[in-house]
This record gives sequence, C-alpha cells and structure tokens, in this order.
Amino acid sequence: MSEKIIYLDNAATSFPKPPCVYERMEKFLREESANPGRSGHRMSVEAEASVERSRSLLAKFFGVKNSSRIAFTLNCTDALNMAIKGVVHEGDHVISSVMEHNSVLRPLHALEEDKMITLTKVKPDSECFLNPADIKKTIQPKTRLVVLTHAPNVTGAIQPIREIGKIVREAGALFLVDAAQTVGAVPIDVDKDFVDLLAFPGHKSLLGPTGTGGLFVGERVEKITPWREGGTGMGSESPTHPEEFPYVLEGGTPNTVGIVGLAEGLKFVAEKGIEAIRAHELKLMSALRAGLAPLKKVKMFGPKSAENHGRAFHFNRRA
Amino acid sequence: MEQNDLSRYHRQYLFHKIGLDGQKKISKSRVTLIGCGALGTVIASALVRGGVGFIRIVDRDFIELNNLQRQVLFDEEDIRQGLPKAIAAKQKLERVNHQVEIEAVVADANYTNIESLIEGADLVMDGSDNFEIRYVINDACVKAGIPWVYGGCVGDAGLSMVVIPKKTPCLACLFQSEPPPELSPSCDTAGIISPIVNIVASLQVTEALKILMGKTDQILPGLYSYNVWTRAAHSFGTNAERDPNCPVCQKGIYEYLKGEKGVRTTALCGRNAVQISRDRAITIDFSVIADKLKGVGTVSFNNFMLKLTLKESGSDFEITLFPDGRAIIKGTSDIPRAKSIYSKYISV
Repeated sequence: MSEKIIYLDNAATSFPKPPCVYERMEKFLREESANPGRSGHRMSVEAEASVERSRSLLAKFFGVKNSSRIAFTLNCTDALNMAIKGVVHEGDHVISSVMEHNSVLRPLHALEEDKMITLTKVKPDSECFLNPADIKKTIQPKTRLVVLTHAPNVTGAIQPIREIGKIVREAGALFLVDAAQTVGAVPIDVDKDFVDLLAFPGHKSLLGPTGTGGLFVGERVEKITPWREGGTGMGSESPTHPEEFPYVLEGGTPNTVGIVGLAEGLKFVAEKGIEAIRAHELKLMSALRAGLAPLKKVKMFGPKSAENHGRAFHFNRRA
Repeated sequence: MEQNDLSRYHRQYLFHKIGLDGQKKISKSRVTLIGCGALGTVIASALVRGGVGFIRIVDRDFIELNNLQRQVLFDEEDIRQGLPKAIAAKQKLERVNHQVEIEAVVADANYTNIESLIEGADLVMDGSDNFEIRYVINDACVKAGIPWVYGGCVGDAGLSMVVIPKKTPCLACLFQSEPPPELSPSCDTAGIISPIVNIVASLQVTEALKILMGKTDQILPGLYSYNVWTRAAHSFGTNAERDPNCPVCQKGIYEYLKGEKGVRTTALCGRNAVQISRDRAITIDFSVIADKLKGVGTVSFNNFMLKLTLKESGSDFEITLFPDGRAIIKGTSDIPRAKSIYSKYISV
C-alpha cells in the first residue's frame, strides 16, 4: 500500500499484522501446506506438527495444562456457537447479559424461542460493569451455563470475570467467556479466572489472520456435542464422530495456513508482553479521554476511568 | 503431629552434612518428578521419607505385573485396582509421610505441558524412560533456571548427571541429540536387574539433597556411569566445563521445548495404527535392531522394512520399521500409547 492510512478498526480485526505473520503464511502455503493428520507422508506429518505447536503456544498463553483441550475454530462466533450449542440440554437455564455480542445473544435467543432453554439476561451498572452479586442472585438449580463477555465491543468495560467465575464454579454451573475484545490485550488464565470454556478470535489482538479462532474446553465439561461432524484423520473406522479432544470439535480440514500465521502473531504478542501492550493501550486511552473531556459536545459512555477499560471506546458527538 | 515438626527426620539431620538447617530447607522445597517407574518410585520414596515439602509425581502409565520386580512402591493390589502409577505412588507415600504434600498428575509429559509441570519447582528429578523427554526437560529447566538430575539405567548399568543451568554442563553440552536406536537398549529390550535401579536413584537423590539445601559447591558435576555387575565406574565431564557452543545453555535455542525436534506422530485413517516418524531421517541397521528385539517378539526383516509382533498388557501390536526410522505401530490409535511402544522397543 503506497498511501499511508490511519486504521482505527482494530476492534473488528487488527491491521496491519506483524511482518512475521505474512512471511510465515507465505512460506507455509508455498512449501508446507499438506493436509495435517490425514496422511503419513513427510509434508502431512510436518503440517500436523506445525498445527500442534500452534495449539501448544495457545495453551501456554491461557495457562491451559492439556493443549488438546483447545480446538481451532473459524472465528470467535464459531467457538461461541460450538460452546453454547454443545453443552446445553433441553430444560437448562442459562445466564447471560444484555451487553453481549450477537454471536452470543442470537444462538441463546434461538434456543429460548425453541423452548430448549430459559434465559436470564443480567443488566450492568451505569458504567457498564456487571455486579457479581447480580449473577449470584440469578443462579437457579437448573442453571447449566453462564455466558459473559470479558469486555463488550461497544463500551470496552472489562468485566470482573474472576469474581463471577468463582461464583459460577461454586454453584456447579459452567462458565463460558467471550474473549473477542480482550484476548491478547488483557491477561486471561483459565484456572485463576475459573473459566470452563473460553472462546477467542485469532485475528484481533492475537494478530493472526482472519478465519482463525479457538475454543478452550475445560475438564469440568464432561461432554460437548459437536455440530460439525466429519473427517478427522483418526478413528476413521468408526461410523460416528470421535469424542477425543481436539478432534471432537475439528471435523474437516483445518485452516492450517491461518493457524501457523496465528502462532506467529501470538509469538509477537508474547514477546512484546501482554502487560506492556496493555500499558501502551491504557496510555492511548487516557490520552484520548483527556482530549475529549473538555469538549462540550462530546458524551463518553462506559467506564469513567481507563483502568478497567478495554480496547473499545464509545463516545458521541452532538451536531 | 504438627506439619512443621521435624523430629521424624532426626536421623537424617543428625548427619552433619545435613544438619537441622539443611533439613529445614529440604522441608520447604518443591520437587517435580517426571516418570514414576523403576527410578521414579525409588526417588519418590526417598524424597518423601526424607521430607521434601512438596512433590509432584507425573506419569501416564498404569502398573503392570512385570513392573513389580523393580518398581518398589507398587503391589499386586494396585494392579487389581487398575491404578495409574502416579496415583498408586501418591496413595502409598501419603501413608508413609502425611507431612509432605503430594500431587499426582496422570499425563504424558511432553513439550506442550512440561513448563507448567515444573513451574514453581526448586528441582526436577528425571525418572523417565526415553531421551526425547530428557531433552525436553533439559530445555525447560535451562530456560526456567531450575536444576534437574538425570538418571537412566538398563541391564546392570546406569548413568546419572546433575544439571545446574548456566553453572554445570547441560545434557545438550554432552550430547547434542538422542543416541541412535542401535545404541539405545531399553529395559524392554535388554532387561534390567533391580540393584542398579536403586543405586542410580540413590545417586540422583544424594545430589538432590545437596541441591535442595543450597550446597551447590558440593555437587559432583558431569556424567557418572556405574556397572553394578562389574563395579566398573566412570566419570565424564567432571571439569564442569560447559560447551561454549551449546545451543541450549549458551544460545538459548530450545528446539525440543518448541516441539521442533522430537518424534512426529500421526494416527492413520481407518487402520487402528499410528505412524511415528523422526524429525530428521536416520539410517537404521536392521540386523542390529533385529538382534536387540529378539527377546521381545517375532522379528523379521528385509532391505526395506523390519516387522516385529509382540504382546503387551494382553494386546497384540505389530511394529513396521522403515530404514529412515519411521514406524507404523498397529494395534492402537492412541498416540501416547504408540509413542511409548516406539520408545520402549525402538527408542527415541
């Protein structure tokens, strides 16, 4: 691109990616892109090893001890749909919030309309933070799943997932976190944050290409029913889809070139350090707030301070 | 009995090279043990009896009858109950010393999980049974700055070495990569007698005690080799000089930890088989391997492949080995199981 542009749409997808992402993807596509796990020839075996290395890097990034519990998905929406539809059963109660993205609300609304589940949507306070006590109050004996965003794409308010996760764990329900706007920018540790299911995109703050994402499925999730079944490269003699992780969620040829690109993005983030990235973004956020604050025509929404403010920032300028 | 009551260790700290201060340090220490078979059971037993603060025992295998000859923590009842080694060891040792916190992890230690397994440890003990995992341990420990103690034995002989990252030679200083299969006998191909197990594990534990007390000046560096049958003993690298070109401890290139080096596995579609291949092609002499495997099962070979059929835990397996080191393990689609069979009979 010859003309210089200012790109501010990173909440949708990050741009540009680090050069190592482009370089690795081109090399992979030109020289290495056999179908992983489907054959025993050297290229296929190496492609599989590359996918597994990427999986292992993601596992380390989230504090996941068994990397096979991370499945690659098309994007965060794909991961959220897999998680929601894979663990709820008829008659279950689900808790979510009014701040969720359509990738959470639409599947939940559809399940509610089909009379599969009952749904409670919790409201946040004026700064767009959820109160963990409100979650606690809405938990019922039938509550199977609590689905919440780590930070909504509209206001960017980072939610107290650790406190909420603890409550959900104590109640015996499952906790699904939508990390679309935080992964790679705000630290997440699945153990410390009591997360049972973590859905994340690869193409936002992890700096991978579009078409990548993943779902972590913790050991408390005994069974997850896949809605995409097909070839896995293992157990092909079985008439039904395998239950082993990660194959259970990975029917069909994976996006290998995207996955190796994602690994490079992730290495870049890990090398810079997530704390350093967060500190940099906080600095930018504070500067923006300070600049907008004196303007009378501007109204700012969401958190009043930068501290618990994620990457998205919502303000309105009256005409 | 109070958790901080050290009286049970009196005979240990009475020994002047330990002392009460040394015991206090041992009792506050955290150890990860990778592998709880022959060496691992002796190591775990000695460390728990000797009063480490915490031990994490990692092993993915279940106990089999032919383990009882040398794996001192297990018995026939454990086999009847079908217990994993890590769990059985924890249950036994909790009855021995309730003051020690014991965590059992039933998992295949590999490059994907080693860093979390050794996190927070003051020391890592090697009770594993193959070279690949030892290089993974070496990478992870050098990177994290955690000392580890290598041990290995087969037949009547064994080896032991302490690695203090950036101070003493690491495994990669001595050998850049795993030895070839022709030179790698295992307990499953060459057999083992229990005395050498106890000796090597005891050498490892002795160095462990020094490390845990912080007495690093008393550590004996280099690779020590001992044959219990002939009493031949050798030391290598005792001048404690690290390889100035070591990729691991000098240059910080952790190829095993990144999963770049090591065997590749892939489950083969519809064949109840797993293919194992090496990160780089090697050339295997089938006649040497066939000789090594003659006590294991039925072996045949031509210029292109070697076939071995064997029975293990009541199941039939067929290994087809190719001259470049690639093998197809038929009889399982479980990748860790296939890897374990490859490492036992062919070696990694």
